[in-house]
Amino acid sequence: MGDWVEKNTVLEGANAMPAPTWHYLKMNDVSIEVPASLRVEPAVATAVSEQAVAPAGTFEYSLAMLQSWWDARWPSRVPISGAGADDAEAAYGGTAQSAYQRNADALEASQSLEAAFATGVGADAAGLLAQAAGDPIVIASDEGQNVRATVTVLGVADAFSSAAIDVVAGMNSTVNLDIVVDSPEAPENAAGFTGTTVRVLAGFGAKVNIRRMQTLDAGFDDIDDLGILTTDGARITVSQTVLGGNRTFTGLAADLRGDKSRLDIDLHYLGHGEQAHDFNYVVRHHGRETECDIQANGVLAGKSRKTLRGTIDLIRGCKGAQGNERETVLLVDKGVQNRTVPVILCNEDDVAGNHGATIGHVNAEQLHYLRTRGLSEKQAEALFLESSFDFALGAAPTEQAAAGVDRLARAVLGRSVVLDESEPTEGSR
Amino acid sequence: MAARTQVADINRELYDFVKSEEGSYRAHAGLTEDIVREISARKNEPSWMLELRLKSLAIYHETPVSDWGPSIDGLDMDNIVTYVKPLTEQESNWDDVPEDIKDTFERLGIPQAERAYLAGVGAQYDSELVYHNIQKSAAEQGVVYSGIEEALHGPHAERIREHFMKLITPRDHKFAALHGAVWSGGSFVYVPKGVHMDYPLQSYFRLNAKGAGQFEHTLIIVEDDADLHFIEGCSAPKYNVANLHAGAVELFVGKRAHLRYSTIENWSKNMYNLNTKRARCDEQGQIEWISGSFGSHVGYLYPMSILAGRKAQSSFTGITFAGAGQNLDTGCKVVLAAPQTTASIETKSISKDGGISTFRSSVVATPAATGSACTVSCQSLMLDDRSRSDTIPAMDIRCEDVSIGHEATIGRISDDKVFYLMSRGISEEEARTIIVNGFAEPVSKELPLEYAVEMNNLIKLEMEGAIG
Amino acid sequence: MGELLKIRGLCAGAGDKPILHDVDLTVGAGETHVLMGPNGAGKSTLGQVIMGDPEYTVTAGSIGLAGEDITEKAVDYRSRAGLFMSFQAPVEVPGVPLNSFLRAIVAQHEELKLKGKRYKKRVAEIMQQLDMDEKYLNRELNVGFSGGEKKKVEMLQLLLLQPKLAILDETDSGLDVDALAIVSRAISMYRESCDGSLIIITHQKRLLEHFDVDRTHIMVNGRLVETGDASLVDDINENGFERFIKAAPAASAPAESEGDSAPAHFDVAAALEHMEEALAAADAAALKDTGHPLDALSADQKPGA
Repeated sequence: MGDWVEKNTVLEGANAMPAPTWHYLKMNDVSIEVPASLRVEPAVATAVSEQAVAPAGTFEYSLAMLQSWWDARWPSRVPISGAGADDAEAAYGGTAQSAYQRNADALEASQSLEAAFATGVGADAAGLLAQAAGDPIVIASDEGQNVRATVTVLGVADAFSSAAIDVVAGMNSTVNLDIVVDSPEAPENAAGFTGTTVRVLAGFGAKVNIRRMQTLDAGFDDIDDLGILTTDGARITVSQTVLGGNRTFTGLAADLRGDKSRLDIDLHYLGHGEQAHDFNYVVRHHGRETECDIQANGVLAGKSRKTLRGTIDLIRGCKGAQGNERETVLLVDKGVQNRTVPVILCNEDDVAGNHGATIGHVNAEQLHYLRTRGLSEKQAEALFLESSFDFALGAAPTEQAAAGVDRLARAVLGRSVVLDESEPTEGSR
Repeated sequence: MAARTQVADINRELYDFVKSEEGSYRAHAGLTEDIVREISARKNEPSWMLELRLKSLAIYHETPVSDWGPSIDGLDMDNIVTYVKPLTEQESNWDDVPEDIKDTFERLGIPQAERAYLAGVGAQYDSELVYHNIQKSAAEQGVVYSGIEEALHGPHAERIREHFMKLITPRDHKFAALHGAVWSGGSFVYVPKGVHMDYPLQSYFRLNAKGAGQFEHTLIIVEDDADLHFIEGCSAPKYNVANLHAGAVELFVGKRAHLRYSTIENWSKNMYNLNTKRARCDEQGQIEWISGSFGSHVGYLYPMSILAGRKAQSSFTGITFAGAGQNLDTGCKVVLAAPQTTASIETKSISKDGGISTFRSSVVATPAATGSACTVSCQSLMLDDRSRSDTIPAMDIRCEDVSIGHEATIGRISDDKVFYLMSRGISEEEARTIIVNGFAEPVSKELPLEYAVEMNNLIKLEMEGAIG
Repeated sequence: MGELLKIRGLCAGAGDKPILHDVDLTVGAGETHVLMGPNGAGKSTLGQVIMGDPEYTVTAGSIGLAGEDITEKAVDYRSRAGLFMSFQAPVEVPGVPLNSFLRAIVAQHEELKLKGKRYKKRVAEIMQQLDMDEKYLNRELNVGFSGGEKKKVEMLQLLLLQPKLAILDETDSGLDVDALAIVSRAISMYRESCDGSLIIITHQKRLLEHFDVDRTHIMVNGRLVETGDASLVDDINENGFERFIKAAPAASAPAESEGDSAPAHFDVAAALEHMEEALAAADAAALKDTGHPLDALSADQKPGA
């Protein structure tokens, strides 16, 4: 399709968490390097229910339409006025807000849905992916429709392959979007770059289910960039499986704008070899009684590294909102590095926010149970590692994705995870 | 018991009386190399200290202000008079302390508390240590508790040189560099091997001068198998000019030694409190931080434990109460740097009347931390919907053989609980105060009685009029 | 048949607290024993100690399995040697699908010859007998399972592994009538399929209605105070434990004092050596112009290591 126009591109400040912390920890964001040697070649296969294909611009148009909905609702929300203006504060020039607190208040005060809409990895990455993808894939469902779409992005040697997808889910409709990112035909030691940028607008009562499975070979970098805005009663589920790749970047930003809208995120990842995975989740609760649940489960083996930033932002006015985040990281080998920042920002009292993280070996209770079944500690850890593939296999949205899981399992475990008659079941180790 | 409640009677008004500054020496506003040289010369310091100060000053000028924490735009560094020396030399007999200063401390209950309970008291008034005493029995065991400037000229001079700003270096952050350049006053504590102090040592800081900065340095060395409880209290009256506190606390905890460091901070609400505290524990050494933050306009406070020896332990118990006009960014840092170390962090924060409370932490496990464990638990309470409470915990784990657990929750006082108490005839305000005190209980139960009472009184004061 | 499980003079406790006192118990191959007793008598502890739970310390006595002394053996060894214990509340294991788990534990037992197709077939067969949907295989182990489903998963493992001896710890608690019938049937199938031995810890009789009980043991305050035949179960059901409690020795004897540790021996040489090390590390951390003191404390410097 042509050559990469830019020189070496470095996306600075990608996957940034909204409220930064100490710089010396080097966890606030990440830099994504896209080498100049790549040519642009969107190796993308798409299958979308025919009646749901929509023209480019549908997303922007719909977002603009929603602004009046929000403008009408706005006055009923508690006004944003920085902090309370009593004498004690006035005497010292108000409360000395942090930069991110000031910026957040300013964004709220603008009331602009367009300004507030964001994708998780960030605007630079979204722009790059969209530019390289060419025409976006636009999926728009009508009221009550049930739409299925599958997008397959192939990693190709020395190429940058990406897809830009917009989803506008109509009232009470259901959209199932499966994204498979795989490199089945790449030669050994091939290197390349893949990515998807997805924008979702979920209408009243709409259901949007997104599954993304990434099974790239070890020479590929990948960006999974996702942005979501909900209206009343919308329900979003996102299931992400990250098994392969070299450096991977997963960013999800959601604006739960509508009352009683809900987001469930289920992340499974495996780090092995020299992999570096970088995750960023930002969920902003605007609507009343909104709920989000983030579950992240991972296994780190070899010399892999991983960073996960998870921010639940409970914004003033989101009365009755609940945000939960739970992360479990199993550290298998010496030499792994796990970085975790589970953030809760809260500007509203009538809320419940919880987060928890467990990092280390198999926990004592689980280990004891597994040992009563005859597994040693090493075998128990191996079980978790192998289960990552079994789990992915069970969740694979397409045959291609399942084949990708098995290809990676052969590379990492040295055996197939697709059971067949001839296959000797080695179990663990 | 009556004597033990002396400090408990302190209330906000009591902190707000202001003493005359007449006759004190004031340095020029702004910070230049000349001022730093002048400070050093007046203190008749050894040359290595002057070098440290000048090096720190250079670092201060080249280091940017943090971009992640509360704004310090309201702090005009050129107008902070960094060095205010009261017209008195340090006294070791209470009767010799000048009347107005003595008056101040007597109102704060310091000498009574000392006589009744404490093994030693150091009181810092503005920048100089004015009073220092230590109970005879402690002194006989070889315990040293003195002004650090005085100690620089005494038998422990070399020991101080070996430890001074070795844990907190001027490179740490801008205000650590400022501290290195202009530090003044503070305490030196040395507990010899195997000595157990039965009673706490206490130091009390107070800022009196308008627009003054306070940069005291606390250096505590607890040798192997020794045990110490050190209590630090801080307050300052109200002025309309911003005040700066950029102290430093360096704690060295030897093998099997134990140090408990308790702080109740109630600076007035124009204070910029940018304090740095750090402890290093050797094999089986234990550091316990008890920290209550109530005052200040802006607070940056993250006591750090470096667990450098096998089986070293750290525990941090903290509470932060942010009311109107306050942005308190507090928390703690832990480095697990040796095998089988353990750390626990338990914090509570309360936000009200537009106040902002941020819990910020970092837990780092180095590859050497095999068999180590750390648990973090932080709970935040929102008392209204104008306030803010953020939780920003970071974990960097580079050792696979560890167990790290983190739990955080945020929410408000449940209506059920208030209703239950009210159904028993308790007013709503009282009910909410009881619940908040219960929330703070894990911290207050760790404090000496009079401080626990003081803390509950502070909460009560803050809760007054909370029902609109 | 010979003695399969042979426990002699077993004393065990948790921490400083003794729980089991001088327990003797012999279970022959193919036998079914029932262990009853009031709450807190130590029945579950006995099961855990036989299985080798590291929570408990054996202070005296021995446990033999098929002629081998396993008192000091690790939990997983005992499992591979043919011991099985079903848990009252099996732990949830997120990230591990049931199927992956079953394959891993079956792989420990070559003798079962359950590979590939045979494994799949056998699992499907058992699941049908237990009235379980095969979809469970792809779900994470016990995650979100109801109490009854968890018990079925335990029975599934029992039937797959065919252990020599199975200890069922209140497998019947909290089950509805249908689930109880299924569990009871599973136990019968286990006995028939491999002549397996059983120790059943239970409060109620219903589970025992479908098969013969060889011996019944009553445990009170950590001691086996009575052993009888199946009729003892009926006796307990009618009369309760009262007479055994009255006759039993008082609760745990006071914890034996370990004796306070010897007075600290002060090693001057070690202290001096440490002092130099501490100062060296502090120097390294200081003014290195490298920024954060963390840098100076990285592994290669090994402070205090």
